Amino acid sequence: MHSYQFLDDIAVADLAFKAEGDSVEELFRAATEALLETLADPSTVAVTWERRIEHVCGALDELLFEWLSDLVYWKDAAGVVFHEADLSVVQKGTTWTLAAVVRGAPVDQTTQILHNDVKGVTKHLYEVKQQGMRWYAQVVVDV
Amino acid sequence: MKLNTDMRVNRVTDEVWEIPVTEKTGMLVPARIYATPGILQTMDRGVFDQVTNVACLPGIARYALCMPDGHWGYGFPIGGVAAFDTRSGIISPGGVGYDINCGMRLIRTDLTLEEVQPKLDRLMTELFRRVPAGVGAAGFIRLNRGSFEGVMTRGARWCIEEGYGWHRDLAHIEEGGCIAGADPSNVSDHAVGRGINQLGTLGSGNHYLEVQVVSSNRVFDPETATAFGITGQDQIVVMVHCGSRGFGHQVASDYLKIFEKAMRRYGISVKDPQLACAPFRSPEGQDYFSAMNCAANTAFANRQVITHQIREAFATVFGQSAEELGMELVYDVAHNIAKVERYLEGDLLVHRKGSTRAFGPGSPDLPWDFQKTGQPVICGGSMETGSYLLVGTDRAVSETFGSTMHGSGRTMSRAQAKKSIRGEQLQQEMSRRGILVKAVSMSGLAEEAGFAYKNISDVVETVDRAGITKKVAELRPIGNIKG
Repeated sequence: MHSYQFLDDIAVADLAFKAEGDSVEELFRAATEALLETLADPSTVAVTWERRIEHVCGALDELLFEWLSDLVYWKDAAGVVFHEADLSVVQKGTTWTLAAVVRGAPVDQTTQILHNDVKGVTKHLYEVKQQGMRWYAQVVVDV
Repeated sequence: MKLNTDMRVNRVTDEVWEIPVTEKTGMLVPARIYATPGILQTMDRGVFDQVTNVACLPGIARYALCMPDGHWGYGFPIGGVAAFDTRSGIISPGGVGYDINCGMRLIRTDLTLEEVQPKLDRLMTELFRRVPAGVGAAGFIRLNRGSFEGVMTRGARWCIEEGYGWHRDLAHIEEGGCIAGADPSNVSDHAVGRGINQLGTLGSGNHYLEVQVVSSNRVFDPETATAFGITGQDQIVVMVHCGSRGFGHQVASDYLKIFEKAMRRYGISVKDPQLACAPFRSPEGQDYFSAMNCAANTAFANRQVITHQIREAFATVFGQSAEELGMELVYDVAHNIAKVERYLEGDLLVHRKGSTRAFGPGSPDLPWDFQKTGQPVICGGSMETGSYLLVGTDRAVSETFGSTMHGSGRTMSRAQAKKSIRGEQLQQEMSRRGILVKAVSMSGLAEEAGFAYKNISDVVETVDRAGITKKVAELRPIGNIKG
């Protein structure tokens, strides 16, 4: 189970969201969905473009930051928006590994409902934490 | 007076307020905020916290400043100005902003409202077609790594050499549209990958291209207006607000990471991770400065290519060349940048983040035709309420490191604005008021509603009364393109 919500009172000029999940993997899915929705309505984006992404990181908060930043990078470098991302997050010893396949299509203003051109993920009020059995993240993106 | 801070804020004048160094541990200089009492009361808590955090940074000179359009930002507040000794001070990406050399450009025309109104729909459609905006938009110029490095090092000059503009445009761009010392070897492949397809694109957020009208009853200083090519008389002008796009953001992000590690090595601690910095004279500081200048030049080039497209659009719709239509560049100013400038204290690295350079008459950095007037300062308001053309003053040079406001400043979050109005509804309401809007994203449009911003006229009155810039003319929107 995972969910996200956009926050009203943080980052007046930009956008912020809170993501949560029953596991680290679910948290990553929630944060990914929030970012995809920030860019465009994923249901209006076809699947004609695909990219495999892998990251290994010692710190979980850094891993999520790098992953979300990667999505922003490919949005600009490939000129795409996203439909979905399949991902797994596995801990081995002291490192975390993210393996993901992100799918989408080149930007098309005639068929897609586009939202914000996110310029980057920031570390302002950035937080990844576990409370009880649930994982939470707060992310502010610069638009 | 109820303010959004527990800190003591002392009145200096009706437009200048000071937070003494005793209000926060580590402050090296006082913080000064330019605001009327009314504007000061609306400023968010972040302004007070952040401007006093900036006052703690090593090598800061005189004051940490915030302009009346100030609001919370990353590290520095938006509207923040801080100058650092070039020998002992720091450089901070948080003091420049992620969108390096985000700035404003104003193009005049000989056209009048009467001539443009019947063709406005066609004009806005043509502009919307020629100036890509919104998520993932790519420009029409295809660059390889070599030619992109030419953009990074030569800025607007590269555009002129390639035929995107007129040679005389360069004199009316801050720094002649090309800042020296840009070294592409200090820019990451990631940044190049994000920027190489974006030349000539607007982006989204608060960036826009606006067709505006200047009426004679809204010209406050006719002599200066004339020197800037503004006749009033329902004259049509075009304003552009955008920056270095994903390229500049990646440069800032790359160096924030580098500076986080460098700070430990140099024994620097900051109040907020987004204030990560390095000594200006350190290898890391110099590398960022040269990479930042690459992004600044790219932003000048971006606005120059957009200007070329605007001229082409006008020529197509009105059947005359851009030169016949009198489409001269009034000026182009950066409002997110760090530059070495000389003041009483000596050479200082002036960080302006959401603040515009505002040099007064006689400055050697201004072209001959602005020597008597001072520098044009272009301030964008919300897309509903209008914008201003101001002029720099000697007082700005002596009081605020030659700096002033840049826009109106947000008071409502994007999420709240979207809950208050739908984009389609806003578009219709603006159309009824005579403002034609073309937008890529309707939700993005709603986020930019006028009620989400301070009243720009109040902000302008503050800097005018404080004397750090003077009003020249008000510009009223009739057409707007948003990403």
